[in-house]
Amino acid sequence: MSALDDRDQFCDGLLTRVARGDRDALGDLFNSEAGRLIAIARRILRRGELAEEAVQESFIAVWRNATRFDPARGNARAWLTTIVRNRALNMLRDGSRMDLVTEDEIADYQDRSGEAGIAYGTLGEGDALRHCLSQLEDKKRHSILLAYVVGFSHGEIAAKLDAPVGTVKAWIRRGVISLQECLS
Amino acid sequence: MTDDSERLARAGDYVLGLMDDAARTQAERDMEHDAMFREAVRRFAERMSNLDETAAPAAVPSGMWDSIRARIDTIPQEAQQTAPSAHPVAANQNRPAFWRKAAVAASLFAALGLGYLGGRATVSPPQPVVLVVLQTPQNTAGAVFEAFADNSVRIVPLENFQVPDDKIMQVWTLYDPSVGPVSLGTLPRTEVATLQGQPFPTPADGQLYEITLEPKPGSPTGKPTGPILVKGFARPTPG
Repeated sequence: MSALDDRDQFCDGLLTRVARGDRDALGDLFNSEAGRLIAIARRILRRGELAEEAVQESFIAVWRNATRFDPARGNARAWLTTIVRNRALNMLRDGSRMDLVTEDEIADYQDRSGEAGIAYGTLGEGDALRHCLSQLEDKKRHSILLAYVVGFSHGEIAAKLDAPVGTVKAWIRRGVISLQECLS
Repeated sequence: MTDDSERLARAGDYVLGLMDDAARTQAERDMEHDAMFREAVRRFAERMSNLDETAAPAAVPSGMWDSIRARIDTIPQEAQQTAPSAHPVAANQNRPAFWRKAAVAASLFAALGLGYLGGRATVSPPQPVVLVVLQTPQNTAGAVFEAFADNSVRIVPLENFQVPDDKIMQVWTLYDPSVGPVSLGTLPRTEVATLQGQPFPTPADGQLYEITLEPKPGSPTGKPTGPILVKGFARPTPG
């Protein structure tokens, strides 16, 4: 059993206790996962305080909805990650949250594209996802990574890759179909 | 375009977070009855999550857990929901693999739906049930709130409140004096913002709302401790 599997089981056990109303178990889950989750949200939101807010709100949502979780039906860490990722995307797309961004911060947002390549480069050599991504044309792979890792919209990807939005949509469409066929 | 390709393309857009509100809502509805689409989303999301594992953990601010803990101490958990696996109909009882998969997918769907929908009041523009004009201690209008049926609150500041670096604005409502004031969330700075709803009763005529200045990251006691910046009572919206 890998360390990651151990951690999955550990978190599943904690979330099961949270579902029974155990607030301390949520604290243990927070101690185990918060750093990783802030890092994932930060790839999307860039600003540390927004990433922390996304994670904080997610843990409160987890508390409220923990009874929906059943360890036999999926893994707690994946559930947490999905909640945090989606909340970060919501905050990103909710324009009012970004009103106070300064010019420097705007530049920093555009720079976050670099994280997408780093994430891809850090996937393990034997990872099927890495293998299947590597089979895609560069522009398709890059578009998919920009959308998933740093939360770029079609428009942002188009600007970054200097291509029409319609072309980017077609790349992503064909890219995600090929990727899922390769992974299956 | 075949059905298979169409399904994979939609699953891809969904997992990558590229759908607009309408498409996402439709996709989530489809997942409830289209097992193949649900399974495509689950599998692709699971594979893509390997990219999340590549992030080096960030520093966790001290006090962050205490602030979460203070909030959950006042928040009840939602009642257990019926899981699909608990009620396989007789015709399907010889298909455990199908139900196991459906259950896993339903669990993931719950996460996705929660994540996407949890951050906003509703998908279509909702109508507030009450409006609140909040007065400063000098009796000037300091902020306007629109409160919605799910207890999300849209806050429009009318004054530029100065928030010291070590403080944060915290928004409260009082729906039941025996419960006391409950926190609706915090605002780090003066800006138009929407705070997420909590499972409190629907806002009512005359319900108290206020903003206090609290130490970061929020009141240490879970109740207001700092000075009141603005305060007002809800009035029902016309119509």
